[in-house]
Amino acid sequence: MQGSTPSGQFVFEPPVAEPAPSVLYEEHLKLTNKSRMSPFAGYVMPLWYSTIAAEHQAVRRAAGLFDCTHMGVLEFSGGGAVGVLHAATTNDVRKLAVGRAQYGYILDAAGNILDDIIVYRRAEQLYMVVVNAANEPKIKAYLKELLAGRVVIEVEPHRTGFSPCEPCIFRDMRDTASGSDCRVDIALQGPASIDVLAKLSSDGSIAEKLSGLKPFAFFEEKLSGIDCLICRTGYTGSKVGFELFVHPDQAARLWNLILEAGKPLGVLPCGLGARDSLRIEAGLPLYGHELDGKFGISPFEAGYGWAVKLDKAFFVGKAPMAKIAQTYEMQVTRLEFSAAKGVRPIRPDDPVVDGCGVCVGWVLSSATAGEKQYALACISRNAATEGNTLGVYYLARSPSQVQQGRAERMDKGQQAQADLTGTVVGRFEKF
Amino acid sequence: MVVEGLLYTKDHEWAKVEGDVVTMGITDYAQEQLGELVFVELPQVGKQLVARKEIAVVESSKAAGDVYSPVTGTVTEVNSELGTKPELINEDCYKSGWICKLQVTDKKSLDNLMNAKKYQEYLDTL
Repeated sequence: MQGSTPSGQFVFEPPVAEPAPSVLYEEHLKLTNKSRMSPFAGYVMPLWYSTIAAEHQAVRRAAGLFDCTHMGVLEFSGGGAVGVLHAATTNDVRKLAVGRAQYGYILDAAGNILDDIIVYRRAEQLYMVVVNAANEPKIKAYLKELLAGRVVIEVEPHRTGFSPCEPCIFRDMRDTASGSDCRVDIALQGPASIDVLAKLSSDGSIAEKLSGLKPFAFFEEKLSGIDCLICRTGYTGSKVGFELFVHPDQAARLWNLILEAGKPLGVLPCGLGARDSLRIEAGLPLYGHELDGKFGISPFEAGYGWAVKLDKAFFVGKAPMAKIAQTYEMQVTRLEFSAAKGVRPIRPDDPVVDGCGVCVGWVLSSATAGEKQYALACISRNAATEGNTLGVYYLARSPSQVQQGRAERMDKGQQAQADLTGTVVGRFEKF
Repeated sequence: MVVEGLLYTKDHEWAKVEGDVVTMGITDYAQEQLGELVFVELPQVGKQLVARKEIAVVESSKAAGDVYSPVTGTVTEVNSELGTKPELINEDCYKSGWICKLQVTDKKSLDNLMNAKKYQEYLDTL
C-alpha cells in the first residue's frame, strides 16, 4: 500500500527504474571513466575523478565542485505556502525572513523522519525546498497527498489534512513543466570559493557580497550572464561554501566556467566518495544512516533537537517528537581514530566498545581524512562525553575471519575487546 | 591494462606461472574499482587453498574486496611490504604490488585460467 497507515506512518514504494544520467553526465565523462560511475539515488554519479583523498583535501585547502543536480528542488508559493511548510516541517517557518534558509525535517504523524530538508524563502510568498535525491519521489508524493487532505497528520486525535485556506501552489523545479523557472543545485565548497565566483562576475562588489553573506543566507545574481541563486549552505562542513541554483540548461556551462576559473586556485571536481568523507569528518548526518535508518534515529538523537520546535502550536509528528525529547537514550557521536598505514579501516555496523570492554553502540558511517579516521556512531548517551576514550571492534570482513572466530554482529551490553581505540571529539567541526 | 604472458581469473586476479610456482595479485581493473587501498590482509605462509577460495582481503576507505586464489596450492611467500605500503597495488599491481606466491599442488587448477586475450575480451563485456 501507499499512503498513511492508521498509526500515522507514511508508506511509499518508489518506482523501480534504471539509474538515469544527471544533468552533468556528459561533463563527468569528460573528467572520469565510466568505470568510476555508480548508481546513486536513481542517478549515475561519479564516485571520484582523481582520488577521494585529493578531492577531500582540495575542499579543505582550496575548493571542490559537486554535482548536486540530482537533489530535489521543490517550490511552494501563494498565501498558503508558509502555513503548509510550518505545519509540514519541524522548524519555525513563520520566522524565516526573505533571503534566508532554514534546516529542518519532514516527519510523518508517527514521528518517522521522511527527509531532512532546507527551506529557502525567496520572496514574501515564495519558498524553495531542497530535498535528498533518494527521498525526492517519496517527499513529492507525501506533499501532494498532504495538500489533497489525504495524509494522517495526527494520530491522537485522529486527523487527516490538510487543504490550506489560502492558495498554495506546489511545483517541482526540476520538472520541465516549470519552464524557465527550473533550478538545479551545483555546490562549490572550500576557502577559495569566493575568489572563484568573483572571477565569474562583472560586479566589482561581488567578493564583498559573498564574504558578507551569512551562513544560511542567499541572494540572486548573474554569474557570467547565468541567473543564479547563491546560497551560503553546504554539506562539507566548510566555513566558506555555496550552493548555486541555476537553470538545468545552464548547469554544464556554469560547471565548466567554475572549473576553468578555479583550476589555477587548485579547485577540483569532487565525486560521491569525497562528499561522503567530508560530511563525515564534519559530523553531518546522512539520511538512512545518522537519520532514520536501521536505528530509527530521530533529530534529537542526531544532535538536531534545536530544529524541532516543540513550542509550535502544531506540526506533523509533534506528539511523538515531544515524547522522544524526554526519553531518548542513544546519541550520534563523532569519534576520531588513527588512519596510519596498516591500521584497518573502520566500517559501518562495527560495534563501539567502552573502557570496560562493553558494547555501547555501533558505527553508522566512517571515513578517512588525512591521518585520521572518523566514525559517526550511535551510542549510549552516557558514553558520549567529549574526550572519552572508546574503541571499535572490527566485525568479520570475510568468511575466513568468521572461521577464525570473529563476530558478525554484536548486541549492546555484550563484552568485546576493542581492536582500535580512539576518542570522542566535538559533535561537529567546521573547516 | 592487461599484461601479456600472465593468466587471469574472472574475479580479476592475475597469475604468473613459473614451473610449479605461481605469483599472484589483482589486476588493474580491480585496483581501479577499489580506489586507494589502505589495508591488505595477507594469508599465512603454509596456508593450503583450493582454487577460488579466499586468500587475501584488500580494503580501501570505501570498500573491502575479497581476493581469491587462482590455483590450488600452498602459500610459500607473501609480500609483506603491503603492510605499510598497500598503495603498491594501485601503483604497480602486476609487479611490486604482488600479493603472494603459491606452490601449485593441483596442476589441473591452471586450466581454468584465461590468457590475456580472453581476459581482455571478458573485460570488454563488463
